[in-house]
Amino acid sequence: MKRKGFGFYLRIYCKILAQDLKSKMSYRADFIISTIGMIFTNISGFVSFWILFRNFPSINGWSYYEMLFLYGFSLISLTPVQCLFDNNWSLRQYVYSGDFIKYCFRPINLFFYYQSEVFDIKGLGQLAFGIGTLIFAWVKIGLAFTPLMLLKMIVFLLTASLIMIALQNAAAASCFWIQNSFYVLDLAYRFRDYAKYPITIFTPVFRFIFTFVMPIAFIAYYPSLVVLRPDAVPMLSWLSPLIGIAFFYVSYKIWMYGAMKYSGTGS
Amino acid sequence: MKLKKYLTLTRAGIIEALQFRLSFVVMVIGNLLYLIVVYFLWKAIYASAGTDIVNGMTFTDTLIYLVLATALFNFMEMYTVWEIGRNIQSGKIVLDLLKPMEYRKYLFWSYSGSFVTQFFLTFLPTFIAVAAVTHGAIPLGINLLYFVISVVFAVSINYSIDFIVGTICLYTESIWGINIMKQVIVLLLSGATIPLAFFPETMKTVLHWLPFQSIYHAPLSILLNANPQPEKMLVTLGTQAMWCIGMMILSKLFWKASLRQITVNGG
Repeated sequence: MKRKGFGFYLRIYCKILAQDLKSKMSYRADFIISTIGMIFTNISGFVSFWILFRNFPSINGWSYYEMLFLYGFSLISLTPVQCLFDNNWSLRQYVYSGDFIKYCFRPINLFFYYQSEVFDIKGLGQLAFGIGTLIFAWVKIGLAFTPLMLLKMIVFLLTASLIMIALQNAAAASCFWIQNSFYVLDLAYRFRDYAKYPITIFTPVFRFIFTFVMPIAFIAYYPSLVVLRPDAVPMLSWLSPLIGIAFFYVSYKIWMYGAMKYSGTGS
Repeated sequence: MKLKKYLTLTRAGIIEALQFRLSFVVMVIGNLLYLIVVYFLWKAIYASAGTDIVNGMTFTDTLIYLVLATALFNFMEMYTVWEIGRNIQSGKIVLDLLKPMEYRKYLFWSYSGSFVTQFFLTFLPTFIAVAAVTHGAIPLGINLLYFVISVVFAVSINYSIDFIVGTICLYTESIWGINIMKQVIVLLLSGATIPLAFFPETMKTVLHWLPFQSIYHAPLSILLNANPQPEKMLVTLGTQAMWCIGMMILSKLFWKASLRQITVNGG
């Protein structure tokens, strides 16, 4: 089969996206309530932060605004996984019921087609909240704003997103081997709550685990250091784009391997 | 005889829960991870605070409080809103309504099996582990009895709130948004994420008049109090009992008034 180009996939994506948005709009109440729910989640995270720092001026050398920066950073970096890869949550149902087989017969990339089918709009609320928090923290800390900084920010935000996407892909793909992958996915989903803490609070053993075994520290901590503390950027921060791409690639391979192995349910 | 039909549902629930052994393993890993993060986060917080006691709580107190709050959450989370929502969408609710048992009771008792398994598989081990790790910082005396009574009230209040929120689904047909809103509000305002002692005074006063603090704050503060004064204990348990009855009546009435709303497409 001839390899299709990037432009081809982009066109298809826009078409599928339009269909998905149309069907979402027919459940307007659900959409509005979900968006409000998302905003609630973010506000509650913010309030928890505020209550915590009312009692303690700093945590382990991290000031309120620096922690807020990390928090905003993690919110933004989690947006792509929320918006573009939300269909991973339904994977186990498709696999279980046998409906997944329909994706296997399309002449385009299976992974692409599956993920493109759902676009989760409520993630955009989170994005707005994250950007607001980040800008607020940025101004309060008094970080310089230059085009180079902005570029760094975007590159490292994308890096951070790739890690979370990879984690979720791998977790969702586990349903090809085990029946109920919900708990695995839920576990990966909970990682995002831990991403907002600086890894320096842990002892070396757990620092190692959260860096190399469960790469939670790459979702916000390492990438954000490049902008937040530009004087002392650890090697791992500079390496994080490569690590992000590598992780994504591996998770993609796992996902595809599981999908290729899939034999349907016979119905 | 009346109890027997309920206990049959409990038994079925236990058998069903034991079917998913792998999910237990993943859940234990997830909880362990959470505990590690909470431990180090609060250790860092207390280390930065400079004093041993913040808002009348030592590090050990806070840790016990938060760990047991998580254990309680796992124990009490019944996914009622999801269950009702899914039953409405699939139409199964019609069959459940035809059963010779009140729907509210049927749902509760068919979940009650998980109470038993969760209690022995997550709550009890966590409790013993915490008691051992903190070298008897949990007072073991008459407060345990009060704690159990308090938890029973808490479960009931939590279920009533869930059921009310589930009933709202009859109108909105939106599950995710409603559920996430409920979860966020309950967890934050009940003191499950941050102990209520750390909240600002005005917020504390407001929360005192809301039902949420009866779910996590009340049982946990009873447990941590070595020398309970009878009057204070009576006030706490009395408040819980009042909310328990009030919310039960409210959820029943709301359900009754909403039943006419059900629309099931086909079947």
